[in-house]
Amino acid sequence: MANQHSHTDERTGGIGGYISLFTAIVFFSGVLQSDQWWGVLDFTTMNGAFGSIIDGVAFRGTGGSGARDGFLFALGLVPTCMFALGMVRIFEHFGALEGARSLLTPILRAVMGIPGVCGLTMIASLQNTDTAASMTKLLHEKGELNNKEMHIFTAFQFSCGATIVNFMGSGAVLLTLTNADGSMAVPSSIGMILGVIMICKVLGANILRFYLNHLERKGAFQSQANNKNMEVAHG
Amino acid sequence: MAEKAQKQMLTDIFVGGAREGWNMGVGSIIPNVMMAFIVIKALSITGAMELFGNLFAPLMGLFGVPGEGAAVLMASFMSAGGGVGVMMSLFADGVLSGEHLAILAPANYLMGSTVQYAGRLLGVVSIEARFYPIMFGLVTLNGFIAMLLMRVLI
Repeated sequence: MANQHSHTDERTGGIGGYISLFTAIVFFSGVLQSDQWWGVLDFTTMNGAFGSIIDGVAFRGTGGSGARDGFLFALGLVPTCMFALGMVRIFEHFGALEGARSLLTPILRAVMGIPGVCGLTMIASLQNTDTAASMTKLLHEKGELNNKEMHIFTAFQFSCGATIVNFMGSGAVLLTLTNADGSMAVPSSIGMILGVIMICKVLGANILRFYLNHLERKGAFQSQANNKNMEVAHG
Repeated sequence: MAEKAQKQMLTDIFVGGAREGWNMGVGSIIPNVMMAFIVIKALSITGAMELFGNLFAPLMGLFGVPGEGAAVLMASFMSAGGGVGVMMSLFADGVLSGEHLAILAPANYLMGSTVQYAGRLLGVVSIEARFYPIMFGLVTLNGFIAMLLMRVLI
């Protein structure tokens, strides 16, 4: 944990991270979707399309159903998933996540009532639920997070866990669906859907924050309860 | 670790991510989507889907989605990938339109895989047991709010 902190801290502060983050947001937002040259900076454009086998029929064919249709359909999702995760790793390499962490850390207290030290764990939670779960537990055990903050932060992570990997892996493909006439079927963008997801994650965590404040006032919840008390409660 | 990352070729980094995508596709997406297609076919053949659609029509109507859209949300509790499979299957059958998918998409992820995450996250972090129902209530509420937001946005 400590190593992860120092490792990430070494890589923060560079303008490169912010540029990478900005480029990633533009790339996945859909704003540059076009057949013109700037389409090279757009995920959906670069993801492309399957060709027709005969008379406009894609390799999945038409009129299929059940397991076999499901398999062929799912097979068609795999390239989008591979392309999306490949690009996520590239943006990550250029510091997009460190850029996001630098931007987020100072505002965590105001936005969700949790300390800035959660920044790294929060970014990890967008990628991997299990890693973030153990990091959160560690923060709580080390006393960096009190009982209330731990519950609020967990509520944030619980809704749409591993947000980026899960959504890019299986959700991005929704945006590539076409109608029978070849027009794009889903009137949205990766950026819009991810934006709504993030707003709702923060909103949900805040609903719990206010509920815990209410319980605390009634004496039914202790922010500062230590781990020993919790073990007794689980008993 | 940082040095190792610096020495990596950009193409290697992309290929590494793409390989993760392949593993995710083979290990999670294909089985989940296939299962969803089978379940939807079973529900359609037995007529259960129509009943299901009628039952949930009033609730889902609030969000501008047909009653069958509730099947997406139920699947997503088990697995977000399964929810995507149900969406795709219902889209292929013409039950859900592209607009409906846009409304359902964020909700599918906000509520997604929470049955798994109850153990992998709430259990690991040691959330007090009395808060489990509240956590599930919150993700459901998040999903509903997201559907309303998407209905306004698109």
